[in-house]
Amino acid sequence: MTSAAIARPALAWIVLCQIIVVLPHLTRVPWWILTVYVGAAFWRFQVLRSRVELPARSIRFLLGVGGAAAIVMSYGSFIGLEPMVGLLLVASALKVLEAVRLKDGYVLVCLSFFVCTTEFLFSQSLPVMLYSVFASVMLVTALILLNQRPGTRMTPQAPWLAVRMLALAVPMMVVLFVLFPRIGPLWSVPSKTGQGTTGMSDVLRPGEVSKLGRSADVAFRVRFDGDIPPRSQMYWRGMVLNRFDDGAWRTLDWRDHPASERRLQVPEFSGSPLSYQVIMEPTLQRWLYALPYAESETTGVLEAWDYRLMVLNPIESQFGYRVNSWSNAVIEPVLSAWRQQFELALPEGLNPRTRLFMRELVKTQSSPESIIAEVLRFFRTQPFYYTLTPSVIDEPDFVDRFVFESRRGFCEHYAYAFVVMMRMAGIPARIVGGYQGGETNPLNNTVVVRQFDAHAWAEVWLSGRGWTRVDPTAAVSPARVELGLEAALSEEEGFLADSPLSAYRFRGIGALNWLRLRYDALAWQWQSFIVGFNSAEQLDLLKNWFGEIKVSWFVAVLLGSWVLVLAPLTWFMARQRRPAGLLASERDFVRLRRRLQQRGLTLDSASTPNQWLEQARVVLPSTDPLLQALERSVNDLYRTPAQ
Amino acid sequence: MSSIRAWWQARYQQWLRRRLPPARSILLEQRRLFIFPSRMGFLFMAMLLLMLVTAINYQNNLSYALTFWLAMLFIVAVHFTHGNLMGLTVTAVSASSVFPGQQTEIQLRLTGSPRRGHSAVRLVWPASETIVDVPAGSSQTVTLFLPTERRGWYVPPRLKIESTYPLGLLRCWTFAQLDLRALVWPRPLVPEVMAVASASDNAGGFSDVTGVDDLAGFRDYRPGDPLRHIDWRAYAREQELQTLVFSAPTRENHWLDWEDYPDTPTEQRLSWLCWRALQHDSRGDDYGLRLPQLDIALASGDRQREQILRALALHGLADLPPETSA
Repeated sequence: MTSAAIARPALAWIVLCQIIVVLPHLTRVPWWILTVYVGAAFWRFQVLRSRVELPARSIRFLLGVGGAAAIVMSYGSFIGLEPMVGLLLVASALKVLEAVRLKDGYVLVCLSFFVCTTEFLFSQSLPVMLYSVFASVMLVTALILLNQRPGTRMTPQAPWLAVRMLALAVPMMVVLFVLFPRIGPLWSVPSKTGQGTTGMSDVLRPGEVSKLGRSADVAFRVRFDGDIPPRSQMYWRGMVLNRFDDGAWRTLDWRDHPASERRLQVPEFSGSPLSYQVIMEPTLQRWLYALPYAESETTGVLEAWDYRLMVLNPIESQFGYRVNSWSNAVIEPVLSAWRQQFELALPEGLNPRTRLFMRELVKTQSSPESIIAEVLRFFRTQPFYYTLTPSVIDEPDFVDRFVFESRRGFCEHYAYAFVVMMRMAGIPARIVGGYQGGETNPLNNTVVVRQFDAHAWAEVWLSGRGWTRVDPTAAVSPARVELGLEAALSEEEGFLADSPLSAYRFRGIGALNWLRLRYDALAWQWQSFIVGFNSAEQLDLLKNWFGEIKVSWFVAVLLGSWVLVLAPLTWFMARQRRPAGLLASERDFVRLRRRLQQRGLTLDSASTPNQWLEQARVVLPSTDPLLQALERSVNDLYRTPAQ
Repeated sequence: MSSIRAWWQARYQQWLRRRLPPARSILLEQRRLFIFPSRMGFLFMAMLLLMLVTAINYQNNLSYALTFWLAMLFIVAVHFTHGNLMGLTVTAVSASSVFPGQQTEIQLRLTGSPRRGHSAVRLVWPASETIVDVPAGSSQTVTLFLPTERRGWYVPPRLKIESTYPLGLLRCWTFAQLDLRALVWPRPLVPEVMAVASASDNAGGFSDVTGVDDLAGFRDYRPGDPLRHIDWRAYAREQELQTLVFSAPTRENHWLDWEDYPDTPTEQRLSWLCWRALQHDSRGDDYGLRLPQLDIALASGDRQREQILRALALHGLADLPPETSA
């Protein structure tokens, strides 16, 4: 029976569904994939109109091979999640060209559901969820259309039935979602290649961070348990760059440390911590962002040698973690000789002017603190500019050129120059990359940190105080730290240049801004629920509800809740098909008959409806609404087809 | 091996007969309906499994949610597919009498339950199938044609009533042994030999009387009058039904006698007698039938033809239990 030909409306609907499920992928996949969809659909419809033939098997084979080759050319290989998804998309587009029988319709619907699932691997945001609900209704409607009697016209009944069926499936879905055991990955799966992801990288070259100033993508969201600290205190520490090589700053890998240096000194801190939850967008990197000094109780979060938080595997989907931070902690109070030497290392012979300048400066100053103050004063008093579009300096003596000639730079230029100057003065120093500030949403006590909040600053080691944060950018442009990038760059055009449609652009309009914040608050709720629900959360939740958990008990609850949920459904269905009972028109008449008896009519229930009507006409005036209702009801009764 | 299979088949048929006894009118209810995932249902399940593995391997909560949603949709579909046939009544209306090799026209009436409609209900006989929608509380007459082979009663095989509506993931079906049969007359064949003289008063068998009947007048239609004698032109002018009355002398008496053709195989004899009966009927003769255990007196008209063809059709066959219908 599935060998019957697929009806035209069903086929058209399925092609529409295919386009719907591929749309959210288009921000990631190469543009030509859409043309494959449109081309295949166009071809198929020309076949329906008998303009052309369906492609022969050999041509379909060639198209398949060509699609696979195009994927390889676009992505470089098949390895990775994105090429696999691309392949799936091309295959499902080309499948339309051999959709002839009813069976092919089902295959297309199943493929589309799977395409829908793959979208979740890239984003689990609220809009994606809502869009997928819409796509599911469309796809279930497609199934209904495939099963209608051939020749049935398309009516709103089919989508409405789809909505009803999907709605009835929701309660049981929730039960399964909460109770289904979250087991780890069964085997290793293709991971993301990271094309199109913006964010901080682990190599810092001048110009690297300023690129992010053009993007309003969310980097992470934070929700504080208590009050939100002032903006100028929110330095989200991400990576520590202390090895200068080949014109760029990099992180010293833990494996490159000598064995004796691999132990962490426990920082000294006191008082109650700042507690918060972070939900990070995928970065495909391993480090996390937190306010120093940070500890996390979330499983899988580790502390690195430089006191930042990391995870073992790159973050491929949104990741949530809890952090406790102590801003008064003294980090690494004792600096080992190896570490001291490493954090002072600079290539020989570079930046002679700066070296000379620092040598002079050190002579006049007694303490490291005063040297730092003097350098910051130098930045503040000389004509340095903070800009997203610094002049490009591509030569080994970068610091010389920057400090004494161009003097136009973004945060990484200042951090770079400052750290080099400190090391020349004999003060251990390193660059820290991360984000600074963030937008506070008063509606739910959260802070949204976006890519343009990316920042680089410096840490210097001072005896007795450990690693201490110094932000040379703040000396040049205090507004950057106090008010954010937008205020600091109010006269420039590069800000948000890469995010022309971002809702962030509308923050100036009061009502729209309120809506935007409202939505952000909702997005937080959703993200923290959908991202945070893992096996630990699940166990906590179940323990909260039911106390201690055993496997047998777990099975019993699963089955029990199943019965609980199925019972109403069965009742709902049974109510609809109970064969006994009266028709609606009969019920109506019985009700009116009772009211007539109250009004004094004396006929018994054996009288025919027409007899009732005759007597009612005698007793009641013709304008009586009861009489009119009775006339309608009797009319209905006789119109109902005989059974 | 085949004997085991045959035994098993027999047991299955017996079980089906017991579980679904023949009836004139069958209400599809809980214990009659079977339901099982269709092939497409298994395809869908395979996709769900793939989605579940994806969700587990990528630890992706939205994928879990969609997988569970669709899995539960499957459960909901069990109820909807089942409900789509539930409450439907299938009634055997009629099966037309035919000559062997012709297709009998079978009429069934499908009556929907008062509360819910039934969509895309497929009625399947091995040689014929159709698909209908029955809205709630209404009824629909469906005509199917089944080929016949042999003279006698033709009992249609079990009717399969099935539906995959709404999602096609499950197939719900039942078998209905409708109490329905079609009469298959003998195949009319031109006699190859002359009828021998017998006790019948007309030995000629088929004397070639072709005189045009004289029209004697009109009278009001009475049930049983030959259709050919109705004045259709008058009827078309919206008058009452009138029957043309012909002058009597053209009527001749003819006996169709079993003994007309001795030493001829039974089926051939019946075929020849059948042909002659049709001849007489078309001329409006009075004719009668003499079979070994049955005599049908001289008469003419549709009723006589039916009676005689029926006697010929059932001659020598073990008759079925009496029809329950009129």
